[in-house]
Amino acid sequence: MSLSAGPATLAPGTAPVVAGGVRAERAVMAVAMVSLALLVVLPLAFLGWGSVSEEGRPTLEHFREALSNRLYVTALRNSLVLGTWTAVLSIAIGLPLAWAVSRTDVPARRFVHVTALIAYLTPPYLTAIAFVNLFSPNAGLVNRLMRDGLGAPALTFNVFSMSGLVLVTVLHTFPFVYLLAASALESVDASMEESAQILGAGRWRTAAAITGPLVAPAVLSGALIAFVNAIALFGSQAIIGLPGRVFTLPTRIYALFDYPPQYGLASAMSLVFVAITVIALALQRRYLARRSFVTVGGKGSRPRRQALGPARWGVFAFCVAVFVIAVLAPYLTLLAVSVSRSWGLAFWQNLTLEHYRFVLFEYDVTRRAIRNSLLLAAGTATLTVLLGSLIGWIDLRTTLRGRRLLDYTSLIPLGLPGIVVAVALIQFWLRVPVPIYGTLLIILLAYTGRYVPLAVRSANAAFRQIDPALEESARITGAGWLRTFGAVTLPLARPGLFAGWLLVFVPAIQELSASILLFSSQSITLAVAVYNLYETGALEPVAALAIVTMVIITAAIALATRLGRGGTKSPPVEGAGLAQ
Amino acid sequence: MAGIAIDRVTKRFGTTVAVRGLSLQVEDREFVTLLGPSGCGKTTLLRLIAGFMAPDEGAIRVGAATLSTPAGVVPPERRGMGMVFQNYAVWPHKSVYDNVAFGLQVRRIARAEIRARVARVLELVNLAGLDARYPNELSGGQQQRVALARSLVVEPAILLLDEPLSNLDAKLRERMRWELKDVQRRTGITFVYVTHDQSEALALSDRIAVMHQGELQQYGAPREVYTRPANRTVADFMGLVNLIPARVRRPGPAGAVAVGGEHIVEVALPPGLAEGASVQVAVRPESVRVGVLAPGAAVGFGAVPGKVVDLTFLGNLVDCHVTLGDGTRIRVQVDPGQRLEIGLPVSVEIDAAAATVFMEGPEMAPPTPHAPRPG
Repeated sequence: MSLSAGPATLAPGTAPVVAGGVRAERAVMAVAMVSLALLVVLPLAFLGWGSVSEEGRPTLEHFREALSNRLYVTALRNSLVLGTWTAVLSIAIGLPLAWAVSRTDVPARRFVHVTALIAYLTPPYLTAIAFVNLFSPNAGLVNRLMRDGLGAPALTFNVFSMSGLVLVTVLHTFPFVYLLAASALESVDASMEESAQILGAGRWRTAAAITGPLVAPAVLSGALIAFVNAIALFGSQAIIGLPGRVFTLPTRIYALFDYPPQYGLASAMSLVFVAITVIALALQRRYLARRSFVTVGGKGSRPRRQALGPARWGVFAFCVAVFVIAVLAPYLTLLAVSVSRSWGLAFWQNLTLEHYRFVLFEYDVTRRAIRNSLLLAAGTATLTVLLGSLIGWIDLRTTLRGRRLLDYTSLIPLGLPGIVVAVALIQFWLRVPVPIYGTLLIILLAYTGRYVPLAVRSANAAFRQIDPALEESARITGAGWLRTFGAVTLPLARPGLFAGWLLVFVPAIQELSASILLFSSQSITLAVAVYNLYETGALEPVAALAIVTMVIITAAIALATRLGRGGTKSPPVEGAGLAQ
Repeated sequence: MAGIAIDRVTKRFGTTVAVRGLSLQVEDREFVTLLGPSGCGKTTLLRLIAGFMAPDEGAIRVGAATLSTPAGVVPPERRGMGMVFQNYAVWPHKSVYDNVAFGLQVRRIARAEIRARVARVLELVNLAGLDARYPNELSGGQQQRVALARSLVVEPAILLLDEPLSNLDAKLRERMRWELKDVQRRTGITFVYVTHDQSEALALSDRIAVMHQGELQQYGAPREVYTRPANRTVADFMGLVNLIPARVRRPGPAGAVAVGGEHIVEVALPPGLAEGASVQVAVRPESVRVGVLAPGAAVGFGAVPGKVVDLTFLGNLVDCHVTLGDGTRIRVQVDPGQRLEIGLPVSVEIDAAAATVFMEGPEMAPPTPHAPRPG
């Protein structure tokens, strides 16, 4: 082998240059900082100022009103009641399911798992609409059956109540407890329980003294996430709560935007809302931190499955009941309503596709909403992953001052309910001379701000798996900073980044809580279209639109997944130079 | 010219000093090993040479160009060096061919030439025919060769290697050791090689730089570092060594010490030692001979009487433990053909030419940063 002259160094005697990468790092940092300022920090600052000022003068009047007026105190109490019951019932459903799936020989465990996933992925406002069709006091199918068909009015159930609201909400939130509890139960090695038994503890004693304490942090943590999610859902609280006069924080804040809008009071209420959310999340972090001892010992653990004998059919019946209530009933109901000429006991005698024709071809909002929602979801997912990659990369691969602060700032939106994000954006963008209110852009900003934490976490995890030596060897081989990123970092991080993309896309395409305050007739989204049509009282077309929505969401997710997996030439990258 | 001059370089991480005022001269085409226990700063020094970090003090020059000062560094991609990482860092998403070709593609070399040069370098590292494979289809040794080929194909003037053999099994390690040495001879590239394995360092290097706690302890040819360690740290790190307590009887280069009571052993003494001073005689197990002593017989001049207390058969040799009259226990390498038994009285002879005398107490011997290049 012949050798070239020497290294490409500087002329003799000159001082070395500062690496070009340092300047690039600073530029990336600046982009990330400006983005977070526009998306999160400035809107929050304006929200804060708006809550303590009136026409430019400081005042505490808004907080006084929010915390003393009976209307708002009731809304606060209702939100707390809703959240608490939802959390408790999420444990009541999620924990037995988790135990059945990870610790017993119950049949069809995969089916139980899929049930939980579908329940989580179903937009809660669709579940709410389905249950209205079954349990509204007069027109609900089940209520009619009980009252008119069986002559048992005592067996009717009014869904327009706190109980109805809790029922609908819990069907969406129990998967949080289920998923966390199942993974905790999986990671408790059988040897821990067997050690207790060999020392003389019986089955119940072992469960109470060993298994319970080991998984309790995960269960509580799941319940708190259920709480935070439950109180933030605008759709179900409006659909179920408003007719039943059960006002909650999101619906009260929403009502404050009726003419004349009360921005100051809405801001103060929003901050109260944030306070509750942040307290719950702080508790959740504490519980989850204590969970670490399970996962440490969890590597390659061997969970113990219990043979239930004939009892397993009883457990299975419970799982099936959850499936029927959380998945089968809502979807069958929406399907049935959407094809019935008039919803009622005899709906099956007169089936029609008229409502689909209407929502797809006559109701011109539909196509606009579909296009907007697809654009917004894809745009949000792409933007958040880009921003998340920048932030994750700065955090892990540079030594720039302020990188931890950047990381923390990007996680702030976790504590912001959707409607609060909308209020904050309105406060900010109505006060700067950039007319984006009422456009798709402001919704895009709202979504991007809301979901950036998901993308930051995904990007962080994706980059963390890449051994820095893989990047360093590209540098020493002669590739510059940008080339290294494009040729090594990005391809290796791609699966993780794509997972983050999907993680944002799925909630974004069904977003309602922030959109409801930000949309205009031109920037309407799918979820808002469903909600608006529902408000007109046209139950059958709403059901048709709901089904269309679900088809589009499912198709989009399937397509995105296929695109994300395709195009990869290389075989899977396990092992082979990756850090353990 | 690709000699490397490291000039009083210091690197700190927070309050810990990883490299402390270290100077080192690597000549063109030389194979230099940075040797030391983990945490001694050898990998930090290598990464300073590569330009992955800037020194806090001092400078690094290659030829006439200054590459690193506290004020700034030439970035790694503009140094024209190659580097082989401990875990190979073979890109898992690129085939063998693409891994090796990457550096040439970065340099915008014509496709036909890339193909030819990749083929040639794969031949050189015995990987011909595996170009389409992906790293996860290769053994550890093959991945190691891909990493080596990837560094060599761009024809660097300097190749940096960070414990490149430590993840291989013993047999493969020995073979790759030989291949590395062979490649270095054939290409004339300057190698800077980091390892904590002293046998690897002895086998490969033109010169060894022994490091400890961020400082250079000794810099010299393998034989010199092994037989004439500059201090106890080096002696200890370069392999098994007996540190035998002794007293000076006659100072000077033609000196003598008393060992195991009052048995005189003639050995060269460092300057500055008075008669009666306590010293330690450092001698390796293979530089001590034992002979069976007939019952009642006295030892000859220069030998010390002792008793065999332990014998371990290791195949090609026997590890023999002997206690001297004053209780000092030493280890001796014995040929398996020599018949010894536990409890047998023996005479112990120390090869004075292979022994070094250190002063008792804290480490005193100064490091030798600018030792001349061996013959």
